[in-house]
Amino acid sequence: MIKDEILAKKPITILEKIEESLERLNEKMEVIIEIQKNGNDSQRSVAALPDASLDVMTLLSMPDHLRKTAMAICRCGRATAEEIAGQTSRARAVESAYLNQLVIMGYLKKERKGRKAYFYVDRETQG
Amino acid sequence: MSKIIALHSYKGGTGKTLLSLNLAAALAKLGKKVCVFDLDFRAPSLFSILKAENVEYWLNDYLNNSCDAEKVLIDLSSKVPGNGKFFAGLANPATEAIRDMSAKDRKWEMRALGRLLALRETLLEDQKFDYLFLDTSPGLQYSSINAIVAADFVVVVTTGDRSDVDGTKRMLQELYNLFEKKTGLVLNKVLDSSATAKKAEMSNKIKTVYHVPMLAIVPCFCEILRAEGNSIFIEDKPDHPFTKIITEMAKKIENNEVN
Repeated sequence: MIKDEILAKKPITILEKIEESLERLNEKMEVIIEIQKNGNDSQRSVAALPDASLDVMTLLSMPDHLRKTAMAICRCGRATAEEIAGQTSRARAVESAYLNQLVIMGYLKKERKGRKAYFYVDRETQG
Repeated sequence: MSKIIALHSYKGGTGKTLLSLNLAAALAKLGKKVCVFDLDFRAPSLFSILKAENVEYWLNDYLNNSCDAEKVLIDLSSKVPGNGKFFAGLANPATEAIRDMSAKDRKWEMRALGRLLALRETLLEDQKFDYLFLDTSPGLQYSSINAIVAADFVVVVTTGDRSDVDGTKRMLQELYNLFEKKTGLVLNKVLDSSATAKKAEMSNKIKTVYHVPMLAIVPCFCEILRAEGNSIFIEDKPDHPFTKIITEMAKKIENNEVN
């Protein structure tokens, strides 16, 4: 039944879905690569508290490579990896990895809109 | 180009408030639309200097998300001659308010940073302000670091005092460098700085000690002490050497010569 439904869709839609899945997979891979590249520093910081907040003292205690990304997203409030890359002059893939890492650490939230992923600082949640 | 400028120092009493108020007034005198904010919530002082009456909303209220930024603005344009616009946003001097501000948690401070960053849109873009000056608490206070992060340019005010020199040096290396902030240094209350040769020598010395560009050297003036912080000094004494230094500094900021 499900198979029939998928086959009934236009091939272009299926290709788009595959591309989207590959992009997500790629982002996850980038995170893993970046975590490995930055060694212990990143691994230590991944263990964030459940009520993590991106305040200035947290920014100060972050490893340099993440602080740059976190500062940029702090200024924008909400942005894509590409927009952050425009500010930090680093590659989009690198920013995507760092942003995703900040999401895992609990400092940022991520929201998908169509094929774009938006990252933002959740300043509204009470607590 | 419109800008948010924070004034900060390691120690207290270096002259941050005097400089922010007078720099803001000098830019207003040059025809700009300027606002000075008192972010020293532990020891509010702009309130007294500007002798503000019937303040309805404080900067505290804005950061607490209880009012819009526009509500905090007090129009003081009449205090400055010319076509410029001069506003102030004040910290609440009531003991209860000070106590409330010192008991804020990390989440609140994070939201406060968001509110400060939002001023760029509400005041610089929508209300067409040219400059916002953030006068901060000395040292590594939450509110001050929030201001530093929110600012485009930070003026660090220091004196020749040994503990100030050491602390400022450490603060620039361990805080400002991490945030990659554009910074300018003002050496205030300098003795015997009248000789030009000495000024150049001092400026070089500062660059080697602090590794940041020098914005100004301000001599120690008895007239400033005598004024007892009762007014905007450059308005009271337009021909005083201090006024000239401040005006030069304002022009440097206006012409983007602070990099």
